[in-house]
Amino acid sequence: MNLKFFVYKVSIMIKDKSSYKLARIIKSALAAAAIPVILIYIMVAKPDYTVTNTLAHIFLPIAYGIGSVVTWPVRAVGQSAHWVREMSNLRNENKQLRVKLDEALAYKNDCDIALAENKKLEKEIDVKKASPFKTVIADIQFDDSVFHHNTFLINRGKKDGLTKGMVVVSFDNRLVGTVLDCGSVFCRVRALTDSTTKIAVRITGSDISGFLQGNGKSGASVGFFNDTQFIGRAGLKVITSNISGILPSGIYVGEMTDEKNIDVIKPYNLSRVMVLQFDDQGSYK
Amino acid sequence: MHNIVLILKQLLPFIEVLFLWRLSVYFWNPAGILALIPIFYYTFVRPIHGFAFVGLIFCLLIDYRCNLPLLWTTLFCLFYAIDGFQNYIDVQHTDNNALYIFMMFIGIGILLMIFSGLTWKNFINNVWLFVWMCILYTPITAIDTLFYQKGLK
Repeated sequence: MNLKFFVYKVSIMIKDKSSYKLARIIKSALAAAAIPVILIYIMVAKPDYTVTNTLAHIFLPIAYGIGSVVTWPVRAVGQSAHWVREMSNLRNENKQLRVKLDEALAYKNDCDIALAENKKLEKEIDVKKASPFKTVIADIQFDDSVFHHNTFLINRGKKDGLTKGMVVVSFDNRLVGTVLDCGSVFCRVRALTDSTTKIAVRITGSDISGFLQGNGKSGASVGFFNDTQFIGRAGLKVITSNISGILPSGIYVGEMTDEKNIDVIKPYNLSRVMVLQFDDQGSYK
Repeated sequence: MHNIVLILKQLLPFIEVLFLWRLSVYFWNPAGILALIPIFYYTFVRPIHGFAFVGLIFCLLIDYRCNLPLLWTTLFCLFYAIDGFQNYIDVQHTDNNALYIFMMFIGIGILLMIFSGLTWKNFINNVWLFVWMCILYTPITAIDTLFYQKGLK
């Protein structure tokens, strides 16, 4: 009898306007209390944000999975349209590629000779150049280019042996970015065009080193050269330098388009990338 | 059958958020930021029980994908707190589905983003995003009037 009375009372309270108002105020108070906590957290956790990253690692795969099911028809239509467009461009591309292939074959002989000479010289001066023995191929899930940040998600994570700081390259061995944060089944990669990207680079065929910085969306620029007299020019090729100890040296970054800017790979032009493992000495594992 | 339709209509706000968040496209919907429209609408204008938590989670996910230090999450909490404590503006009965309040919500976030990276390109990108989100607010919220509310009555 008492229990029935209690349930009845509670149901009246829930329907009651004053109780609703009280519940609303409690929720608002909780939200208000969360703000200083978040702000303090931002100040304390900078730049790792372990808690928020962990939360994202839990919720992102769930939301991604459900979202993929919900949006499947739309994405299928979009993909079909993309394929149709690709097919229409294929013939022209094929013609252009044939011309490029002929040129490349002619150039290859010179390169083979140069490579052989290079190997001989390396042996003579005892240069140890490492090459990657482990690569992980990953698909790009999201291109998260927004504001002046430019990150993207790949569908490989800790389960595949990936960790923070690993190098991400395209299939033509051009540097794309570095792993920023790693979840169990996905990783967030910072692209070269991200405004927070700062990596040490070197001009090929010289000892001139500098720093590359992303400029938000369209590209990146190179500056702070060790030779203050040096002025960049279009056509110079840039590779990574391990002077900062973050990246291994010798990975092709891009070609300079003028005295400052450099043409780097944009993630929205890619669908698949390779992740390379390297050790602390700057050489690949 | 009627029950299934009713359930689907009740799930519509959640599906809308998932849909816009998942279908992120460079330039048109970067990092699924358009999901902020249904998040705002179903939290403040037509509040749905339990939706605020979903909104909070998706704000966190948008921040994560945008590489922002909890900007939208903080703003969401701030607006939620202000909305609960004040009784000066009745958001649920404001004209144009509270478009102007939404503009304020988005505007503050985007303004902070402009100041975080002061370049012309960033400024233009942000202004574009603000305009685009404001334009899309009315049609996206009209879905609620068309399907969701009618279906529940």
